[in-house]
Amino acid sequence: MIWHITKRELYDHLNSLRFAFTTVLLIGLMIVNAIGYLGEHTAQSTAYQKKVSASLDKMRSNADSLYNLLTEGPGPLYKKPCPLSFCANGGETFIPESADGVGEGLFMTSSRFSINTTWRMKYPQSNPSLWDLMPDYTNVDWGDIISIALSLVAILFTFDTISSEQERGTLRLTLSNSISRGTVLVSKFLAALITISIPFLIAVLINLFLLYTSGSVPLAASEWGQLGVIVFIAFVYVSIFLGLGLLISSRVSSSSTSLTILLLIWVVWVVLLPTTIGALTSGLQPTMTHNELAARQQSLASRFFEQYDELWRKTPSREIPATEETLLWSKYLTEDARDNEKLNEEHLDAQIAQVQFAISITRISPASSVRYAIESLAGTGFTRHVQFLEQVRRYAGEFRTFLTETDRADPESPHALGPKEGTSQKPVRFESIPKFEDRISFSEAYNAAATDILLLLLFFVVLFAGAFLSFIRVDV
Amino acid sequence: MFLTLIRRELLDNLMTFRFAAAVVIMLLLVVANTVVLIKDYEGRLADYNTAVKNHRQELLLENKTYSDGMLSFWGTIILDRPPNPLSIFNTGLDKRLGNEIRVSHIFTPTIWDANKHAADNPYFNILTSIDIVLIFQGILSLLALTFAYDAIAGEYEHGTLRLVLSHPVRRGYILFAKYIGAMVCLFVPLLMSLLLALILLTTSTMITLDTDDFLRIGGIVLTSLIYLSLFYLIGMLISAITRRTSTALILSMFVWGFLVLVYPNMILTAVDTAPQAAPEPAAYHQIKRMWEELERKRDQFLRNDPVPGEGWGFDIVDMEGRDFIFSGGDDKPSKLLYYTYVGSEFETIDEKSEPQVRHAQNFYGFIGPLTVNTVERTWLIRKPALETIYVEPANRGRMLLKFSPAGLYDAATEAWAGTDLNGIQDFFRAAQRYRQAVVNHFYDEKIFASRQWFSSDQGAVDWDTLPQFSFQRSDIGINAKRALPDLFLLLTMNIFLFIAIFLVFIKSEV
Repeated sequence: MIWHITKRELYDHLNSLRFAFTTVLLIGLMIVNAIGYLGEHTAQSTAYQKKVSASLDKMRSNADSLYNLLTEGPGPLYKKPCPLSFCANGGETFIPESADGVGEGLFMTSSRFSINTTWRMKYPQSNPSLWDLMPDYTNVDWGDIISIALSLVAILFTFDTISSEQERGTLRLTLSNSISRGTVLVSKFLAALITISIPFLIAVLINLFLLYTSGSVPLAASEWGQLGVIVFIAFVYVSIFLGLGLLISSRVSSSSTSLTILLLIWVVWVVLLPTTIGALTSGLQPTMTHNELAARQQSLASRFFEQYDELWRKTPSREIPATEETLLWSKYLTEDARDNEKLNEEHLDAQIAQVQFAISITRISPASSVRYAIESLAGTGFTRHVQFLEQVRRYAGEFRTFLTETDRADPESPHALGPKEGTSQKPVRFESIPKFEDRISFSEAYNAAATDILLLLLFFVVLFAGAFLSFIRVDV
Repeated sequence: MFLTLIRRELLDNLMTFRFAAAVVIMLLLVVANTVVLIKDYEGRLADYNTAVKNHRQELLLENKTYSDGMLSFWGTIILDRPPNPLSIFNTGLDKRLGNEIRVSHIFTPTIWDANKHAADNPYFNILTSIDIVLIFQGILSLLALTFAYDAIAGEYEHGTLRLVLSHPVRRGYILFAKYIGAMVCLFVPLLMSLLLALILLTTSTMITLDTDDFLRIGGIVLTSLIYLSLFYLIGMLISAITRRTSTALILSMFVWGFLVLVYPNMILTAVDTAPQAAPEPAAYHQIKRMWEELERKRDQFLRNDPVPGEGWGFDIVDMEGRDFIFSGGDDKPSKLLYYTYVGSEFETIDEKSEPQVRHAQNFYGFIGPLTVNTVERTWLIRKPALETIYVEPANRGRMLLKFSPAGLYDAATEAWAGTDLNGIQDFFRAAQRYRQAVVNHFYDEKIFASRQWFSSDQGAVDWDTLPQFSFQRSDIGINAKRALPDLFLLLTMNIFLFIAIFLVFIKSEV
């Protein structure tokens, strides 16, 4: 029986004008998306390779002595571009693409010695498109299509499902048969879901066909898996709005009121909450302002100045074991690099915490949840950047250990890392230096998306249960 | 009779649920976003004030000589672009483009040479906030359509149209009454939300609006009204043609989706993927050659002057026996920027070097004006080249956007607010004029050939004697001039649509 009603509803939908428009809209959007990202990944990968090899070349030339590696550091570490960026670009223009492991260069020079600072991690802030005069626009991605267009379509397919049948009296006719109301509701839901999924799947296939055949996006098995989950998420998201539509439609007797209420909720969920709430919360989780950062850098510098005011009179030497003076220099340079890096990381952590707090607040809207879930799966966006930064920190530790251990292995070094005199100056085998490679971890991607997917399922269950309860009580 | 019709329409609309919903939505959106936008503006204003203070301090602290202030990379004359308070209404390019620019006689300052002062948490930009105009553009237009879709089709369906027309009423009157009634109803949420936004604006102590600003806001309100009316008329036309409310509604929604969501992004994606300019445009090499010519002339001067050797430090040493000379340049092919400079800097000059000072003065008196001259000549090439490479594609994109009313509306309100490209360019034009004034001052006071150009042994430069920079946003007349073409286009569209509706309605059978 359920299939019988579903079929009837389905025919109704498929013959309707809105189905035709939905098809045109979704296919149009997906084509726009495909065109926008046609050469994008290839260009990004080439740029990434170029930058990484430039960074490695620099490291190779620094490998002629351990001391150079100590002062120059591993150089900039780059984030690998993800092939699925067409699914969600995740505000990538606002997120930096690298973290820098570099030194500050010459610190002090005199006739007796010359000192360079030790490398430390720095986290550049992105400053996008300073001379791009184009008007603002979004390069439409799947996230936009799903969160905005698909939810609107879902509302347009359900706002009158129950209220219009009530208006026309056909609901009474249907229910006079021996059918449970639950069956009617489920079949209406299924019919709408199938109707929307047809143009959506067609549009997705056209989009993937364009991207795949043009060779601009390499899609391996794991990417297909991620795409599959993204499409699944899209279905869950559509179901949420279908459930909402059924709920409102059964509560309100007139179609136009039902549409108005639905649009109101849609505006709040899709337009208002994802943008505004996040920005409003910035005050609740204050970050370190750049003035504060500058002040702390200043106070750090003056603390060192007081603590080590005798330093410039001490001359480091290559004596083994290291002299007191060499050790003092080493202590200063290590502390300077360590404390400044700690400050940089504290600043970064405060910024990340602020954004993550804002992101978790915006999750009260399913439109945000779906966007974050897609971003996590596509390997873009803020979650991915945080994962990248974690890898960077792990690598920084590895690199530091490598320097200490290589120095320890050199019998001709006084083992006072920092000043030139206290550090091994032997060439280092380039192959033995740990290299940074950004790995995109799929299990982490799924893990990050899991919370959002669960949240979306919860939304769906609540709304559908609500629709069921309210439909049970409808007076025909 | 006409008044009765209007009253009927007005009451019809006011008593509906959708009117209440429209008011609630608009108030919610505008108030929430205004709070965010005001906070953002205050943040940017604080950044601006800090930057101005720091730049001033650095200039006074770090620079003892003119050449230091003009040539070195540390603590030079830097102008800051204040944030525009009307960016709360339409952010435009105000937030995105560079807001600090260095002024020096060695290059002409443009948007492309500008930098941005640091922000507290740039990551926060991923949570994009929307400005007030964007709310009107997206949501108010949607509301206008929900008011319009059943304006005519609904009456057909209910049969009330037949009833009304059985009275001696002109069809044109009916249309007009419907239009007025609905527009008044739509104007209420628009005005209420704007008023609340203004109240919020006035509660902020950091934002000061002058009379011109209120006139500009008036211009934005006027443009919003015309834009709103355009969408109402689109809905009405659909309603008159389809004659069925359900069809009209669906069609309206998709037209809205296309005009507001799809078209602007689609067209800009298409423009953006269009072929880009070469990384090293031909004009760049021309500019570079001019500078190389300057270097040749400089070397020739040094060869021909009575001092042996070809250094521009002229072997001057200070009391401690140091000689400090510097040279440098900037080479950014993508921005068509190329320049080179040489200079020297002394805090004290040893007595033995005193005879050399005259030669140094001669040299800098020669190279300074030559540099200014070269900058002027390269600017003649650089300016049109920058226009072709950066401004023209952007303007093409803007032009194409205007095929959608949403694009027209955005452009017009940007022009009113002064956050459009012209408004930003105004600042950089002012910076260029200021640079010219500084250069003229150098000529007038013969500063290029002065001792203070490279030495502070007889006192540091008093930077207060330089002309002061001040930047005023363009006055309301210019804003209006920039906004009017788009406003006029919107108005014309309105009239055409009204005529079309009239024709459809007059011919239809009841």
